[in-house]
Amino acid sequence: MNRTAVLSSEFVRLGRFFLEELKPRGRWLTPFNVISIPTIIVGLIILYFRFVYGIGSVTNLSQDFPWGLWIGFDVVTGVAFAGGSYVITFVVYVMRIDKYHSIVRVTVLNGLLAYIFYAGALVLDLGRPWHIINPIIGNSFGYNSVLFLVSWHFLLYMIAMAVEFSPVVAEWAQLEKVRKFLAGLTLGAVIFGITLSILHQSGLGALFLMAKPKIHPLWYSEFIPIMFFVSSIYAGLSMIIFEGTISHSVFKDLIGGRDHHQYEEIVLGLGKGAAITMFVYYFFQALIFIHEERWQLITDFWGYWYLVEVIGFVLIPCFMFAYAVRNRNLGVIKVASVMALLGIVLNRLNVSVIAFRWYATNKYYPSWEEFVVTLMVVFTEIWVFRWIVTRMPVFRKS
Amino acid sequence: MEFYTYLNIFETKGLEYLLLLSFLVLFILLVRYLSAPEKGGPGAEEKVSTKTS
Repeated sequence: MNRTAVLSSEFVRLGRFFLEELKPRGRWLTPFNVISIPTIIVGLIILYFRFVYGIGSVTNLSQDFPWGLWIGFDVVTGVAFAGGSYVITFVVYVMRIDKYHSIVRVTVLNGLLAYIFYAGALVLDLGRPWHIINPIIGNSFGYNSVLFLVSWHFLLYMIAMAVEFSPVVAEWAQLEKVRKFLAGLTLGAVIFGITLSILHQSGLGALFLMAKPKIHPLWYSEFIPIMFFVSSIYAGLSMIIFEGTISHSVFKDLIGGRDHHQYEEIVLGLGKGAAITMFVYYFFQALIFIHEERWQLITDFWGYWYLVEVIGFVLIPCFMFAYAVRNRNLGVIKVASVMALLGIVLNRLNVSVIAFRWYATNKYYPSWEEFVVTLMVVFTEIWVFRWIVTRMPVFRKS
Repeated sequence: MEFYTYLNIFETKGLEYLLLLSFLVLFILLVRYLSAPEKGGPGAEEKVSTKTS
């Protein structure tokens, strides 16, 4: 058989295999499906109106509040949650700590999907979404713009994560030679990805540097980029714990008993990392607080709200992580990870939405359509995640 | 002749230095606390058996 015939037969095999894999598996009538399917349908209808009649038809955004829930939650918070990907790949591929190797694939998949969906949600929030291509094709480059850096980094990091995850796809499609070639690119992609991540996690914070008069002084500081970067580390670690807890319950058939036991040790390790990072983050907060002499700012509503965020959702979960690691209490670690994630949501929304133009009389409140579309983005990501992990060798090698 | 004057800790960097020092001490304590053999973990069992033997 000549080379062309071999190639065409391989393509036919791949096509059949892919069509076979597209068929739905498992039960349809599950609580998650019952909630997510109507939400996605309603979200798609809202998106139709958003693209036909403009962004003002479905959101409460205005010239005074151009960034709302879609940017604040989907992009700014979602990207912080995806921070686990660069942390774990650094630990496994650069520091060579093999203990966490079994969670690399699922973490990279989570990160990749988070960037595709959450950073992809930028398209929804742009008044003229077709302009999203401008930073890439060179139409009016804004070299001195942080958004220019962030948009390029998002694109390059998505490619880097796709390369990191590609051996799994090749393994699933039974393309051994391709898998070996792609696996050889992993280390380079990881180092490139870590560099990009550190810069754009902090770059997202740097976006707010130009809004000094608009952000409440308790949340604004010249160190926002560093704070965003440090908090993305424990956000990522907490997300891995949270996501892993759900996966180990929902996909327990796909995960072997040995991996279940190993996972306990991994969770303890992640909890330890989260405790140390949160402690450092809290110290930075305290240092900025004293350096900027914010004493007089904590006596009103905004001050109490700030203390709720920093003490209630940073310091307390930090101690909970430390206590739970010391006492091998996985339950407390899981609760602490949820609290840490809530703290990240609170912090990012405070900077971008809640404490943004805090002095305004006409405040911005997201419309119900914005909430539905946000839920739609999250649910769609979970659908794609579920489709991939039930077919590809994500939790274990095939 | 110069006289010794008290410095206002709030107006100088004194408070920041104190915070930094206390952070370093607390950070070492935290790492030591987290690095000690976990209660109920494999390390803890070894420690107990060493004590009893």
